[in-house]
Amino acid sequence: MTPGLEHYLVVSLLLFALGLLGVIIRRNLLVIYMSLEMMLNAANLALVAFSRFNNNLNGQVMVFFIITVAAAEVAVGLALIVALYRQRQSAHVEDLATMKL
Amino acid sequence: MNDLVLMGLEGAVLVTGLAVLLLDLWITPDQRRLLGFGAIATLGVIFCASFAYLPDGTQYAFGGMYALDEFALYFKRFFLIAGMFVLLLSVGTSHAEEGGQGEYLSLSLFALAGMMFCASAANLALLFVSLELVTVTFYVLVGFQRRRLASLEAAIKYLIIGALSSAFLVYGIALIYGATGTLDFRQLASLPAAVMESRILWLGALFLFVGLGFKMAAVPFQIWAPDVYQGAPPSTTAFLAVGSKAAGFVLLLRVLHQTLPVLETRWLHLLMGVAGLSIAYGVLCAIPQRSLKRLLGYSSIANAGYLLIGVATLSAAGATAALYYLAGYLYTVLAAFIVIAVVLQHTGRDDFDSLAGLHQRSPLLAAGLTFAMVSLAGIPPLAGFFGKFLVLKAALAAGAEHPGFYWLLGIAVVGVVISLYYYFGVVRAVYWGTPGEQPAGPIRVEWPLQVALYLAMVAILWLGVMPNQITNLAELAVKSLGLR
Amino acid sequence: MTEQTQSYLFLAVLLGVAVAFPLVMLGLARLWATVYSPAKPGPAKAAPYECGLESTGDAWVQLRSGYYLYAIVFLIFDVEALFLLPFAVAFTSLPVGAFVAILVFLLLLVEGLVWAWQKGVLEWN
Repeated sequence: MTPGLEHYLVVSLLLFALGLLGVIIRRNLLVIYMSLEMMLNAANLALVAFSRFNNNLNGQVMVFFIITVAAAEVAVGLALIVALYRQRQSAHVEDLATMKL
Repeated sequence: MNDLVLMGLEGAVLVTGLAVLLLDLWITPDQRRLLGFGAIATLGVIFCASFAYLPDGTQYAFGGMYALDEFALYFKRFFLIAGMFVLLLSVGTSHAEEGGQGEYLSLSLFALAGMMFCASAANLALLFVSLELVTVTFYVLVGFQRRRLASLEAAIKYLIIGALSSAFLVYGIALIYGATGTLDFRQLASLPAAVMESRILWLGALFLFVGLGFKMAAVPFQIWAPDVYQGAPPSTTAFLAVGSKAAGFVLLLRVLHQTLPVLETRWLHLLMGVAGLSIAYGVLCAIPQRSLKRLLGYSSIANAGYLLIGVATLSAAGATAALYYLAGYLYTVLAAFIVIAVVLQHTGRDDFDSLAGLHQRSPLLAAGLTFAMVSLAGIPPLAGFFGKFLVLKAALAAGAEHPGFYWLLGIAVVGVVISLYYYFGVVRAVYWGTPGEQPAGPIRVEWPLQVALYLAMVAILWLGVMPNQITNLAELAVKSLGLR
Repeated sequence: MTEQTQSYLFLAVLLGVAVAFPLVMLGLARLWATVYSPAKPGPAKAAPYECGLESTGDAWVQLRSGYYLYAIVFLIFDVEALFLLPFAVAFTSLPVGAFVAILVFLLLLVEGLVWAWQKGVLEWN
């Protein structure tokens, strides 16, 4: 038995849901950021699987762009998180509360 | 070669950005201002060059990746004007911001290029990349004052919510691709009806809407807006309020009417609901605000709602109204943020108390802020009034077909009435506020900011008194989108 | 019983053996350890092993922030090389336009490098 499209899609949806769960329940910015990357990779997996089963390469080209954009996003994001850490000595979402109503 | 000519406007903006980035490395701090003016002048030239493009129908480039039509050109001009004002604002307040002025300029130019690419995106890949170009540069622009905690915090919040929304966007694109096997807008538009019924496609389109809704700051994707507006440097906030929001709308309109017209009926209730919720949320939460930037953050959510009413009517009149509304909103918000930037520079705060006695310290600033607030409140004869009028007229016409629009109309009118309260709260603080212990010396406004403020005020008045020229352009743009 | 289910049966047996074998081994080792070498923890034993030298300092050292800058710059250049790979594979069958396009892309990367260099990101002191 070879894995079909639906197997890949189930895994990809699971990854997406796990990432979303991580974003919602984790409190550390770095872990949240890793969860976000996992969501992007879930989309990558789905794209590659669809590309294989649609018999064209558009999806794989899209994956290239997603990977590079994600790298740029990570570079900027890490720089910001490090800058915040230097100011507050903390990378927790509870400490992001200087601005309130 | 022809492809590159069609993409010339974006190319020119990108080259300008790259040149500014390089030149900034080797010039003295005194020349930095000149560099800014050079960039603004270049944008002016590019703006004029945009009138040399006379697309006959829609022209495609790069294998259908990139589309150029009147609709795209309308938004490109819009973004270029916004870019010029934002650069002027950033040059005028440069000495207050710490280092890296050259980087600020070039990042703004890159974001501008991203927005212009959004206007021409005809492929989901270009849609994603251009939207991310805007979002990622804005992460940096929001957190540019990295020693100010509020700026940094705003950047992190924008980063997390932005990355979350782009994850949804990407997954949506993956699902749409899975259901249809293509990323190209023209191929998507010509798919057989059977494919359009696919559940996967609907889910994908919904995820796409999440990504666009984040850019537009519409409920329920609005949580970032108030904090980011408050924390970011004023020139960034201004760019975020006009440019980023318009980028979301240009993509929404193109996807809705040109790419997947089946969405029109499917999304009708979604769009109406989001519009109504955005207005209600924005207006109600703005009432207790004391920080001007935060107030404008909530006001931006409400304005996204009014714009979405125009989109939801699915008529040419509604889309035209939305395009005109955006133009009016552009000058109004820019005028407001020029004043806020100067007040922030002088008092270090942006709450209502810091505005007290502003009409004595600088009549120009007071007049500019009053213009902006009156326009935002929708009082004739300024641009804001006519924008709201057109949107509500289109909604009234659509109500004949779909009674739900009468409810939306009710919410919109109640929203306008409530918003009068807080917009005039600002005007009251400017003219009748009691100054506290702060020194009440006159505020000197630098000439670039004076020019920008005068221009914005004239434009607000001109758009309101003679709306025909812009509505004609908007009609032309909407027609090229294929709307009747 | 069809051939396919038989092959699955074979897989199940293999899985059972694969689980049982290490469990038995681990159990035996555990038994051996409790009889012949009971645990005697001490400070010398708990210390981290550093090639026989006395361990110094804490393992949680703070890295210089320059390290992050390096890492971020590396990350960008590393990932952008992704576009070069498919280009190199299809190089011989591509038109001149594609070559120019990839050249422009490389020039953009070079500009980034020049910028980082001039800003002093690459200086390690």
